[in-house]
Amino acid sequence: MATVLRTHSAFARLLFGKNGRILNNSLDLGAKLLPESQLALSSKHYSSYGKSPFVRKIKEQYNYEIEKNPPEWEYVKRLLPFTTIPKIIPKDSYPSGWVPPKEEALNHPYFLSRTKNAELPIYLKITYRGMRKISIIRKIEGDIWLLNDEIKQYLKQKNKRYVETRVHEVARLIETKGDYVNDLREWALSKGF
Amino acid sequence: MASILINAIKRLHVSPQIRLCSLNSAAVTTTTANKTINILKKEWEFPPLYTKPREVWIENLDSVEEKKLGLIELHPMVYAAPPRIDIIHSNVIWQRKYRWVSWAHTKTRAEVRGGGKKPWPQKGLGRARHGSIRSPLFRGGGVAHGPRSGKSHFFMLPFHLRLHGLTTTLSAKLAQDDLHIVKDLELPTDESQYLVDLIENRNWGPSVLIIDDTDYAPRNITAATDNLLHVNIMPVYGLNVYSMLKHDTLVLTQAAAEKIEEKLLYHLHSDNRERMKKFKIDQV
Repeated sequence: MATVLRTHSAFARLLFGKNGRILNNSLDLGAKLLPESQLALSSKHYSSYGKSPFVRKIKEQYNYEIEKNPPEWEYVKRLLPFTTIPKIIPKDSYPSGWVPPKEEALNHPYFLSRTKNAELPIYLKITYRGMRKISIIRKIEGDIWLLNDEIKQYLKQKNKRYVETRVHEVARLIETKGDYVNDLREWALSKGF
Repeated sequence: MASILINAIKRLHVSPQIRLCSLNSAAVTTTTANKTINILKKEWEFPPLYTKPREVWIENLDSVEEKKLGLIELHPMVYAAPPRIDIIHSNVIWQRKYRWVSWAHTKTRAEVRGGGKKPWPQKGLGRARHGSIRSPLFRGGGVAHGPRSGKSHFFMLPFHLRLHGLTTTLSAKLAQDDLHIVKDLELPTDESQYLVDLIENRNWGPSVLIIDDTDYAPRNITAATDNLLHVNIMPVYGLNVYSMLKHDTLVLTQAAAEKIEEKLLYHLHSDNRERMKKFKIDQV
């Protein structure tokens, strides 16, 4: 059986060890190499337990400099995730069909502010396995009862039937009984919200 | 709008101190009989579109009588939110419950002393069949589903409920005239009596919660509030619904009001999906 000297003592390492080698026979270019090790480059076998050397402390001594706010930081900033929703670039028309809010929306006695993602705050809630559909208008500011009357009138005109609504003053929302999301969206966009 | 304010200012006594404006706000100065006051018009990242921002006086703590040093605008999303009492209630209940550990404890049938032997044979006696005298059916027996010691009632209220709890309570305080904005917390003396006189004079509620934007406050105010149990100072990160309701009056320094506004507006406009996910205790 081949005797293998395996010690962790520094003295033994001085006598028997090598410098500048890492596990897979590659050179650690950052470490300072002694001239003797460069001679015996390819004769070491890392595959056998007895012949593979210990991994030594690899002191990486690369030259580097610290720079605050370099010009390359712009490229890094592009890759970082958004913290808040970015500002929308104004265009004449958007290919997705998104319509921006208009300034005339502020003239009405009520107001529908857009959501965080700049969408209309009109949602559909379906419960009881599709038997109950409720359209909700959230984020209402101003006169909620006037808005309720206008919506009822508009939906009655459009659908030729009475539409029941529920006004929740404290939560600032109006619920309509039925799926009138598209009609309400058209109405809101026509008002400029 | 500005003219109405200016007329109101002319009718009031205003101190002649000139205020420094913060970097990202444009100051509109108005001169009224040799006295200049600054009305700070702030530029928000997400400015309010429809509801008007709330304007609040900046008061002083230097003298017992109140002097109005200027006006400041506050964002309506934070200081003029709809009064959701249900959200305030949920927040208060959460704050009371999540730290509470119930120490009530009862013994089960296994823990009650005795009751290892079958009391009488299964058949033959004409009596009901029993296995131990300490079962829940027996007098002196263990409790079947009783309280077990060290039960925690920890739960996390959803992030948006906690967020809207803060905005609703701040708005309620402002709407009910219980919110005062103060320039800074410099007192002329370190006596508690000064604060007591001040609160009495200005008709602030018996209990006052003072919020500063830093952890450290000037020596005079810390010494003065030390002996008064009903007047407390807190940094901005200590603001919570329970404390705001417990104290009658809420006093914010101008820097604290702006910091609260900035933080709450950030969370109201950013992507909160990660925070809204289920709370996991072992997460770093």
